[in-house]
Amino acid sequence: MDAFAVRTVGLIKRYGRLLALDALDLAVPAGSVFGFLGPNGAGKSTTIRLLLGMARPTAGYARIFGTDAQDVRVTHRSLAYVPADVALWPQLTGAETLELLGRTGPGVDRGYRDELVERFALDVSKPGRTYSTGNRQKVALVAAFATRAPLLVFDEPTSGLDPLMEREFQHAVAQARERGQTVFLSSHQLAEVESVCDRVAILRAGKLVEVADVANLRRLHRSQVEVTFAGTAPQLDGVPGVEAVERVGPTRLRFTLTGPPAPALRGLATADVTALTIHEPTLEEIFLDYYDEVSR
Amino acid sequence: MTAVDAPAPQAARAAGQTGAIHALTWLAVRQIRRGAIVVIVLAGGMSAMVATTYASTVGDTMDAAALAALAENPAIRTLFGQPVALDSAGGFTVWRTGTVLAVVVGVWALLAATRITRGAEDAGHWDLLLAGRIPLSTVVMRHATVVVTAALFTGVSTAAALTATGTPAAGATLHGAGVALVGVFFAAAATLAAQIFPHRAAASGATVALLGTGLLLRMVGDGVDGLGWLRWLSPFGLTAISRPYHDNRALPLVVLALASSALLVAIPAAAAHRDVRGGWFAPRTGRAPRLRLLGSIPGFALRRLLGPLTGWAAGVGVYYLLIGLLAVSMTDFLADNPRFADLAAQAGFAGLGSVEGYVAAMFVLLAIPAGVFAAVRVAATATAETDRRLTLLYAGPVTRLRFLTAETASTATGAVTLTATAGLATWIGARSIGAPLHLEAALAGAVNVLPIAALCLGAAVFALGWLPRAVSLVGSLPAVGGFLLQAIADSTGAPHWVGTLSPFTHLAPVPDLAPNWTASVGMLITAGAVAAVGAIGYHHRDLRT
Ligand SMILES: Nc1ncnc2c1ncn2[C@@H]1O[C@H](COP(=O)(O)OP(=O)(O)OP(=O)(O)O)[C@@H](O)[C@H]1O
Ligand SMILES: [Mg+2]
Repeated sequence: MDAFAVRTVGLIKRYGRLLALDALDLAVPAGSVFGFLGPNGAGKSTTIRLLLGMARPTAGYARIFGTDAQDVRVTHRSLAYVPADVALWPQLTGAETLELLGRTGPGVDRGYRDELVERFALDVSKPGRTYSTGNRQKVALVAAFATRAPLLVFDEPTSGLDPLMEREFQHAVAQARERGQTVFLSSHQLAEVESVCDRVAILRAGKLVEVADVANLRRLHRSQVEVTFAGTAPQLDGVPGVEAVERVGPTRLRFTLTGPPAPALRGLATADVTALTIHEPTLEEIFLDYYDEVSR
Repeated sequence: MTAVDAPAPQAARAAGQTGAIHALTWLAVRQIRRGAIVVIVLAGGMSAMVATTYASTVGDTMDAAALAALAENPAIRTLFGQPVALDSAGGFTVWRTGTVLAVVVGVWALLAATRITRGAEDAGHWDLLLAGRIPLSTVVMRHATVVVTAALFTGVSTAAALTATGTPAAGATLHGAGVALVGVFFAAAATLAAQIFPHRAAASGATVALLGTGLLLRMVGDGVDGLGWLRWLSPFGLTAISRPYHDNRALPLVVLALASSALLVAIPAAAAHRDVRGGWFAPRTGRAPRLRLLGSIPGFALRRLLGPLTGWAAGVGVYYLLIGLLAVSMTDFLADNPRFADLAAQAGFAGLGSVEGYVAAMFVLLAIPAGVFAAVRVAATATAETDRRLTLLYAGPVTRLRFLTAETASTATGAVTLTATAGLATWIGARSIGAPLHLEAALAGAVNVLPIAALCLGAAVFALGWLPRAVSLVGSLPAVGGFLLQAIADSTGAPHWVGTLSPFTHLAPVPDLAPNWTASVGMLITAGAVAAVGAIGYHHRDLRT
């Protein structure tokens, strides 16, 4: 098996004159939980449809465990999918839908499926047309997790789930990770991404703007530093990583810091610093920073 | 709302409301306009064609004795309606096209009404709309009004065509009004059914059953002396007893108009007290799983086929049972009245004098329901794709080609079953009155139309690949378009090659004559080739999920 669960090379998708995806190069290591983020219309769902062979690329290609995404007979044996907007057959009950998907899909672990039905508190005797949005999503999630497929592709799977179910979802993702499954998760729920993902990619207007480990993402970003000092102000001119130095009072200074803090600390040592606060950006602020640039 | 001098917020709100209603009307119009134009043109075109060619085809063969014979024959009356005023172009046109036209307009109106009301609501297209300030009953009534208006235009087009061809205006108006009112009645009934039943298939099915019952009442009322009053209970019967070009009775149409109005009035009342996406008959909220035919893609295709196929088979079966029951009465009549046999031969129904000739002629018509069935089934697949119901199946390890093969095979199985049902029903009907018809002969005649159904299936698959929005239209073309083309070519003296474009020209009247194997194989090969081109398109395009 390929070391990459998902790999796209120069993937381009055009809808008429609209360039929905602009030469996307993406590599998702097998066994990781990979977050796929971006503002509305960035091309996340488009990418996923290309990965599933449901849409045809204008140029470039996508591979799933080394097999071209178009060869769905092979690739779909090792993946399961939950779409953003789940539609069920109105006349089939939840149990019938799960049976259909289990038997036409890549396989099913019936014991685990029953456990998931229990955990997601799903009433499977109801016909599809009577399910609420969240319950439709739960049917699709149960079906997907129960396949035990090596790759799980989720497009905003929790947009309709309540907080309790959201927790069950994160629990199931954690279990999948423990079993060595790969999870490709497109989501707008930043807290969820922060808590389950190892690595994230940020897409904007069809272009990849960042791929990083969640743990590293903070380090790439500016912290706000505020110092209070007695006597003369510390000398920070030309210190690497320090920017936007600003006097906010006779004895207070504020600046932003990017990268390792050692040079800045040496600069501060030149003065009599009485208080120091470092405000690390939340993941949310980091994402919003990326998203925000759309309007610029 | 940019007007700064609006006197009161109330006025602004009223203006906004009007704008919203206009937008709603436009939304409904856009969803039905293509079909509406086809039906309106068809109504005018068919009427004008038959009326203008009356003199050359029928004019001089009619005399009083012949007319009396025709009017007295129960079989003729049952199948084609009671002939009145056949001595005039208008009266003949009403007899020849009236029932067909009324059925076409009625079926179109009911399907359009359930599609744009319950269908759109089920698919969730109305959720945003209904979150606005327009109430559900207004939205429903707006859509019903648009379909009703389209139905009225079919009547205008019919009346205009008949007046333009020189038939008396009174008869033309009455006949046009009758056609229009049948459309209005079924549009109203379908919209009402869409308020009562919680999903589209049930609403359409119930209204189609109502239409079938109405047709049956008309047939029995026309055919059996003493039961003529039954026609007062059927929209088709009411248009028949208005007798355009003869008595020109307005009362039956007034009754039909009142019945339609009553249905229309009931719609807002029925819509007012139900939930969005709900109905009066709440769907059951839980049941034990039925796991049969869920284990594979072909199995699931079969499972989805069974319900609709049962409905189609019931309708077609009843009609062909009737054909069988009338076999003797019809053939005796034509044997005694050679003039009508000649007339029928001109219209493409040769050999009606024998039972086998008669059922052969009737089986040719079976190509239309069989072909339309195939087209509609493939269209259902296209709808399931757009409604995203297929997304989770496509996410499984099944290629699009395999999926398409399963759908096509199940549809083909359905078409074979449908024709075999018709053959069997005809045989049962004929045997029960002692007509000499062998089971093999009946079945052979019925399945003989399958090549045309195959052409429809091929065309529908082609559309699924390249024109997924027009599957039912393109798929019905070989059967419906082909039939009309042949009829037009035959009765207008168009160049010979025009007629040969229709598959019906190449269909042998089985069991009267031997099957035209060359033509049948040719049609099957064509169908296969067209379907293959469709499969290529389906493989390469994006799924519309
Ligand atoms: N079938 C289609 N035809 C034309 N344009 C499309 C089609 N599908 C998507 N697009 C366009 O491609 C772009 C990317 O859409 P996509 O659905 O991938 O966005 P997304 O990142 O999933 O957004 P969201 O977060 O809102 O789900 C959008 O501009 C969208 O309008
Ligand atoms: Mg999306």
